Amino acid sequence: MSAVVRAGDDRDSLGAALAALNLIVLRRETDGRFQRLNSAPDWSGLLGQSAEATGGGIELAGRSDFLDNFLIDALALWLKGEPGRIHSGLWLETDARGSDWPLEAQAVVASADQLLIIQQLSEEYAERVQVMQSARNHLLAEEALEREVMRRTAAVRQREEEIAIRLLAAAGTRDEETGSHVRRIGLFSAALGTALGWDAVRTADIRVAAPMHDIGKIGIPDKILQKPGKLTPEEYKVMQQHTVIGANMLGGSDIPVLRMSRDIALCHHERWDGTGYPNGLQGERIPIEARIVAIVDVYDAMINRRVYKEPIPEAEVLATMAAASGRHFDPDLFALFMHILPEIQSIRASVPE
Amino acid sequence: MQIKLCMVGAFAVGKSSLVQRYVQSVFSEKYHTTVGVKIDKKDVTVDGATTRMMLWDLAGEDAFSHLQTTYLRGCSGYILVADGTRAHTLDAALALNGRIERELGLLPFVLVLNKEDLAAGWEIPGERITALEAAGIRVLRSSAKNGAGVEAIFAHFARAPTAACIG
Repeated sequence: MSAVVRAGDDRDSLGAALAALNLIVLRRETDGRFQRLNSAPDWSGLLGQSAEATGGGIELAGRSDFLDNFLIDALALWLKGEPGRIHSGLWLETDARGSDWPLEAQAVVASADQLLIIQQLSEEYAERVQVMQSARNHLLAEEALEREVMRRTAAVRQREEEIAIRLLAAAGTRDEETGSHVRRIGLFSAALGTALGWDAVRTADIRVAAPMHDIGKIGIPDKILQKPGKLTPEEYKVMQQHTVIGANMLGGSDIPVLRMSRDIALCHHERWDGTGYPNGLQGERIPIEARIVAIVDVYDAMINRRVYKEPIPEAEVLATMAAASGRHFDPDLFALFMHILPEIQSIRASVPE
Repeated sequence: MQIKLCMVGAFAVGKSSLVQRYVQSVFSEKYHTTVGVKIDKKDVTVDGATTRMMLWDLAGEDAFSHLQTTYLRGCSGYILVADGTRAHTLDAALALNGRIERELGLLPFVLVLNKEDLAAGWEIPGERITALEAAGIRVLRSSAKNGAGVEAIFAHFARAPTAACIG
């Protein structure tokens, strides 16, 4: 733009177009002041200009806090001298009567001119606010719905966990262990799941599934299950069948938590080095949920009192388990277990025997 | 003396409501989204000295709107606002804080957990707040609705503007 459009010269088609766009076009002069290139809209007083000042140099600094901030970036663009354009983003300029005016500025380098274009966006602003308000109301409604779903899901999970634990107790399969033990096994397993980065659903599943790892003991004769002394090789073989019995009880379902329970029941006595039972699975062929339960079940059983044994000090338990890491336990999972040990200890404290 | 403070955070956490409560002592139950930047002013007198607070209320962040950190240039500090009833807004606030620190360096700030009047339904666990405080973050609680804790947020900067002015 090379010619100055004089005030009131709206007969000029360019001037009329600029007026229709509700904007002020200013050219930065060498002294840092600005020259207005079109007639002044009625709101130009917001920036401290008088409508009659066309043709005079305008000092913009100090007129608007927002604009002052934008002029720093604009100056960098203008001094660079290369053709380009930056936007200020929208701001609300408050007039002396407290009314807000939505404005947006652009700094432009065109044909060696350093231009500042300020547009008043009344209608566009109203539209933007309407669209944004609608979108955010929608997001807030979605958030509220999601929270309600999570709250109800948590309530359902809590009921599932309670049912599982009460069924285990009613079945009398865990004479030597307590309800607190199975509850802790679930919580320890969930803590490891969280540490692994699992999502909330999978973590909640293992909290419910892990306590059922020994449910198959319901099918083991009392004379073996409750035998005070050491089992004979034949009795031990029968005892090992609790994994398969449990898997059969829990298998054949499409419900994810039951599928997970089945894997845990079947594989929680498998060992990392392949020497476990019932199938001698090795390494990552053992489902990760079962590898988790293998660790937390041993930890909890060793560290607590049982009718047949005194509690073992934690340091001793951890040393024994560390020696078995890589043979009995998945070494990475055991390292993670040690990493979250303070959380495990906190769970122990919150669910005592 | 004049100090510039910026309100930043996710959308609908109560940034504008805190400013309105502080400047005009009003509160609206209805959520009005902020589009763009709105600057409010309030003169406060502390120990006989009057300070003009320039409060830059910046539109909340979401998928549609991203904070331009150039708006914080020259500020004496910023107020990072999260909604105690929506835990993810704390994550968003801390992510924003990381971006501000990366792009502008260390500036004084306080983390405000708003909507204390709904504390019974807060999603942000106390342990998380304790951990943030232990990490050296100044955490304040407020309610733009009943005004609790609002003065303290701004007074924090009005009382020690020179200490805060490192931006």
